[in-house]
Parts: sequence; C-alpha cells; structure tokens
Amino acid sequence: MSYVYTVARLRGMENHILDTAFFSRLMDSAGIDDALKALGETSYSQWLSQSAGFDKAIDSEILATCEELKTFVPDKELLDIFRLPYDFHNVKVLLKGLFKVRGGESEGRRYDLLSKLGTIDTEELTNAIETEEYGFLPYGLTDLIPQCWQLWDQTKNAQAVELLIDHQMFAAMLKVAEGLKMPDIVRWVRCKIDVENLRSAIRLARMKYDSAKALPFFHDGGTIRADDMSRLLNEPQETWSRTLSYTDIGGVLSALNEQSDINAALSDVSKSLDDYLIKVLESAKYSMDAPANVLLFLLTKEAEARNMRVALVCVAGGLDREFGRRLLSNGR
Amino acid sequence: MEHLGLSLALFGAALAAALAGIGSAIGIGVAGGAAAGVMTEDPNKFGSCLILQALPGTQGIYGLLIAFFVLNKLGLLGGAGAVALTWNQGLQILASCLPIAVVGWYSAIWQGKTSAASIQMISKKPEAMGKAIILPAMVETYAVLALLTSILMLMGVQVG
Repeated sequence: MSYVYTVARLRGMENHILDTAFFSRLMDSAGIDDALKALGETSYSQWLSQSAGFDKAIDSEILATCEELKTFVPDKELLDIFRLPYDFHNVKVLLKGLFKVRGGESEGRRYDLLSKLGTIDTEELTNAIETEEYGFLPYGLTDLIPQCWQLWDQTKNAQAVELLIDHQMFAAMLKVAEGLKMPDIVRWVRCKIDVENLRSAIRLARMKYDSAKALPFFHDGGTIRADDMSRLLNEPQETWSRTLSYTDIGGVLSALNEQSDINAALSDVSKSLDDYLIKVLESAKYSMDAPANVLLFLLTKEAEARNMRVALVCVAGGLDREFGRRLLSNGR
Repeated sequence: MEHLGLSLALFGAALAAALAGIGSAIGIGVAGGAAAGVMTEDPNKFGSCLILQALPGTQGIYGLLIAFFVLNKLGLLGGAGAVALTWNQGLQILASCLPIAVVGWYSAIWQGKTSAASIQMISKKPEAMGKAIILPAMVETYAVLALLTSILMLMGVQVG
C-alpha cells in the first residue's frame, strides 16, 4: 500500500514537534508555573489541564499521537514495534508487584507505574497476569509469563526474570519487523538491540563484571554478536570505539574517550545512543513514501517527550540547567 | 487490408491519448495523495498543493494534442471524410505517436512522484514554493521534447 499520503501527513505533523531550542528556553523559566505557561500553546497543554502531573500528560500526548497515526498508517505493525516495549515494561511491573506480594509485601503492586502506551490494554493485561489466563496475550507472552514464574520460584532473582523478558521483547520486535518485510525496519530493530547491549556492557564494565559470566546479559539479533559484546568487557572502555569501529555504533562511543568526567561521558553516550537510533532511520527523510518515516516520526516524538521530561524535572526540581541542557536529545 | 493504414494511424492516436492520459492520471493521483496528507494538517496549503498536483496533468494534454493532430491529418475532423492511407503511411503515423505516448506515460508518473516530494517539501518550508515547482518542471522538459518529436515526425508524414 502507498505511503505517499502517510508520509506527507507526517511531514505536516512534524511542524508541530518542539525543537531543542524551545526546550532550552523552557529550562530558562523561573519556575514550574512559568514553564507550564510556556507550554500553553503546544499540544501538551490539553493534557496538562486534564492529567494529574506532567508525567501523565506527556504519556497522554504520545498515546494520542499513536492513536492518530493508527487511523492512517497502512501497516499497524509499524506502530506495534514502537509500542511493544511498553507492553513488556508493563509485564515487568506487574510481575515484580506479584513477586513482592507473594513475598509478603501487601503494598507490592505498583499500578501507577503501568504505561498506557502498550498495545495491550493495561486492565486486560493486569487481569490476565493476576488470574493466570495468558492464552490471548500476543508476542509470545503466553509462554513467557509461566517461564518467568518458574524462574522466580527457582532463583528469586528479579534481574534474571527481567533479562528473560527483555530477550523475548527483542525477539518479538525482530519477528514483527521481519513480518513487515521492510529492510529498514529490521535494521533499526537490530540496531536497537545493539544499543541495549551496549548500555548493558557499559553498566557491567562499571561494575567490573566478569566477561566470562556476562553473556546472558546480552540479547541476540543485533548487528554485533552477543559474544563480541561480552568480549568488550575484557578491554578498557577507552578502546571500545576502536574495537567497534567496523560498526556504525562505534562512533557513538567516542565520548567515552573524550570526556574525563565519567558521569558526563556516560550521560553523553546515553544521549548519543538515543540519537543514534533516530539517525539509523534518517535516510527515510529523503524518501516521499518510505514506511520507515512512521517509526522515525514516533522516535522523534518520543525524543520530544524525553526532552519535555528533562526540562520540566529540571525546572520543577531546581536542578542544574546546564546539566539538563546536556541531556536534551537532538530529536528535531 | 484496404483500411490497414487508417487503422494503424488511429491506433497511434489512441496510444498517444491513452498512455499519456494514464500516466497523467497516475501522476496526479500520487501527487494528490501527498497533497491530501499535507492539507489534513494544514488546509491553508491548498493553493500551493493544487499547482504542484496539476503539473503531471500536462502529459495527458500533450497526448490529446497529438491525437487531434493525427485525426486532423486523417481528415476525420470537420466531416470531409478520411483520406486514403497506405499501410506504410499508417505505420509512419503510428511511429510518430510513440514518443509522446511512451515518454508521456512514464514521465507523468515520475513527475507525479517528484510533485509529491515537492508537496512534502512545502509542508515544511512554504517559502520554497518556487524551488518546489522547478523540480517537477525539470521532468516536464522530456515530455515537451517528446511532444516536439511527435509533432515534427507527424509533419513529415505525407498523406493524401
């Protein structure tokens, strides 16, 4: 099906996406009231007046965008690829809550942490998990959740359960992408797996984790093999960008060499990895009918939402504005 | 066999009008899809979008022009009756129609795609309207060249 109409409409919608300069100005606001006043003319204002807190308002804006896109994007799976991680996030929240309840904590459930951005209605998902009726759940969750329970009963290790869920999430994303038969989308999912593996590698390196035991932390399906990722832990971080220079992602790690302050370097790398996932799809910008534009738009919108969170948290919490500016993504 | 020449000439006229017309319809359809997408978000861009959407329509007009030219040459317009044509003359007229038929068909589709891209461009940069028109107009050059070729070839065919 033709994406000419879809991409043209997205081009029109892109005009409403807030740029980094706007967020930089937003951070100069004297207080949260001034910041919320500055948001009055943006699409977020409608949610700010309805929702309790700006966090929910930001989620509502992304959800509304997804719902709008659903009305004119020919392949709904493109939206599913974007929303699917939120389903797996919800599964993690619900399972962790139940683990705590089983462990005797009556206040274990954290329904407030559930995201409405997933493809599965949160109430249905909650009912399914609490009543142990997983039959209708998509993306392999039907088999995954009993496996999670089994693993929890055996190990009581929430991190191991989280890893199992993440493995399934990336496998499901890859499966949906391959089903679309769109090479750009498959490549993006593989790059996303690389990004997550690299984040894990950075975390493990900071913990001085033994590389021989690190393999289970890495997901299969990326452009860089999980084995190669775990071998990175044997090398100093400064050399990672050189080791991975044969990949596109290698350049993102250069901040690890350039910054002497490790915290600043890590925040720079984290931001660069987010921006990298947008850059992977940027060639679609030059096509008038590339389906990848749908995902590119959603990622840009997500980057906008991330910037909004950073700016509002900085203003509300009176945090260092310069540090906040460094965290802003270059979404648009 | 006595009307084979006339049949070939009419077939040429039909090809010129039909293929160039089909191309234009597809091109306008593609550009129209983009225009609808942009106007959903910003209805004020109707004027700019309409101009760009109309550009791939010219090939259809060129095809029609050549078809009229052929019909006039054959004496089928004005009620004077068809001129007698040998099969060789009919084939010459058919060949003369091919440049605008083929180039018109194909260039209109590509012009439609370029127009669609230009429509997307003006949705982000309305001030670039001049440039947005020039890009699809470049494709038009080759449709005009094909039209000229068809006219010159037709003028060279001796009938009657």
